[in-house]
Amino acid sequence: MSYIVPIGPYHPALEEPIHAKLYTEGEVIKDAEVFVGYNHRGIEKLATERNAIQTLVLVERVCGICSHSHALTYALAVEAINGIQVPKRGEYIRVITAELERLHSHFLWLGIACHIIGHDSMFMHIWDERELVMDLLEEMTGNRVNYAMVTIGGSRRDISDELRRKILAACDKLEEKLKRITEIAVTDKTIALRTKGVGVLTTETALKMGAIGPHARASGVDVDVRRDAPYCSYDDFEFAVPVTPNGDVFDRVVIRALESAESIKIIRQALDLLPEGPINLGNKLVKIQDGVAVARHEAPRGQLSYMVVGNGSFNNHRISVHVPSYKNTPTIPAMLRNNTVADAGLIVASIDPCFSCLDR
Amino acid sequence: MQEYRKILIEKDQVVPIAEKMKKEGRFLVMIHGYIDKDGQMDVSYEYAVDPAIESYHVVGQMELPSISEIYDTAASWPEREINELFGVQFEGLDTSQRLFLPEDMLETQGRGHIMVTPLSELVEKNKKEAQS
Repeated sequence: MSYIVPIGPYHPALEEPIHAKLYTEGEVIKDAEVFVGYNHRGIEKLATERNAIQTLVLVERVCGICSHSHALTYALAVEAINGIQVPKRGEYIRVITAELERLHSHFLWLGIACHIIGHDSMFMHIWDERELVMDLLEEMTGNRVNYAMVTIGGSRRDISDELRRKILAACDKLEEKLKRITEIAVTDKTIALRTKGVGVLTTETALKMGAIGPHARASGVDVDVRRDAPYCSYDDFEFAVPVTPNGDVFDRVVIRALESAESIKIIRQALDLLPEGPINLGNKLVKIQDGVAVARHEAPRGQLSYMVVGNGSFNNHRISVHVPSYKNTPTIPAMLRNNTVADAGLIVASIDPCFSCLDR
Repeated sequence: MQEYRKILIEKDQVVPIAEKMKKEGRFLVMIHGYIDKDGQMDVSYEYAVDPAIESYHVVGQMELPSISEIYDTAASWPEREINELFGVQFEGLDTSQRLFLPEDMLETQGRGHIMVTPLSELVEKNKKEAQS
């Protein structure tokens, strides 16, 4: 018997609105369609009526999890148009915030994945580690979300020597706990049974559909903007870009655990090498010069890009936001094919989707 | 800092460039659309030629060939978005379903929705209504 099974826009496994139509044959999904646009807020239009500093506040609210990535990428684009050189210390603080954000985002997803799998004790352990990162971010920036760490021409808050030592000590603790989490993720039978061979995205399909970020790296596509097109002094740090070949949900779990370890490495190097000097170029509001620029940043979910068009006034002429989920969401039908309906929630969640980002 | 190269091209170069980039294994970063200061439609195709971005701009064209055959959904979703927001027609693109905006966008004249960019026909319509 063939059925059409609708999932969403409201679904217990996904806190964000997406609608998927599954065309099933018995319990097996033969084809699928996804529909987005339930959370379209017109951020791009709103940005055309704001100046650069006001836009930073606005774009941080595109996404609750990767808010720093949005502000950072917008700032990078404006700095590129205006030819602003950010002080080294400001860049390092941006990197530290970005990597802490990646850590908390990856822990969040790992926890949710374990929750969907049914491994709730692992979910609680991982979110316990995440709390450690959130506490650091709160102490550093004053907020648990929407950190407001970026300004045009640098960072807004400095890292004191005391805080520096505190983060370094927390890194040791995190590393130890992450090792244990990775070990469990790789060896645990419950996780393996629910994720191995589920929702496979082959390297060929990933390349064809242009998947990016950890989602693509789990399918054997070796891309990372931090390494391929360095910005914000990322070329000062040594880090590996983990790539796994199988492209199933298990690999997506593993890749995020491995990437978290690399993030800790970057944070430690940035804190060790933290240069002296100013963190920004002052609070003067800049006019966005006549021109166009595109900036890219490796957000927790993949490459995030902003196009900013200036017309010589304080306001943006146009900004265009292109988030990683924009590339990864269309791959969902390809992953769902020939899997069971019971795994659909896990597979949709496995791209670490952010539909609020996608809809803007 | 990431380098950004802006290159102006004609409409008929869009497909050959996409084919060349695909052959070289380049990622399509994004297709952006905007109306420039002079009121001309500007559609730009950004390719990652690491560490730089090569940005091919087509100015003043409201009908363009689709590159979704070459870049699959990485091209067709942005093309659908530009079609919705600016009314640019992409030849060979399936636009039977809305991507981001509501199905009844034009029937309700955009009331109750935040307009991302002014759809020209709506702007004209609103102007006429305001005058009468």
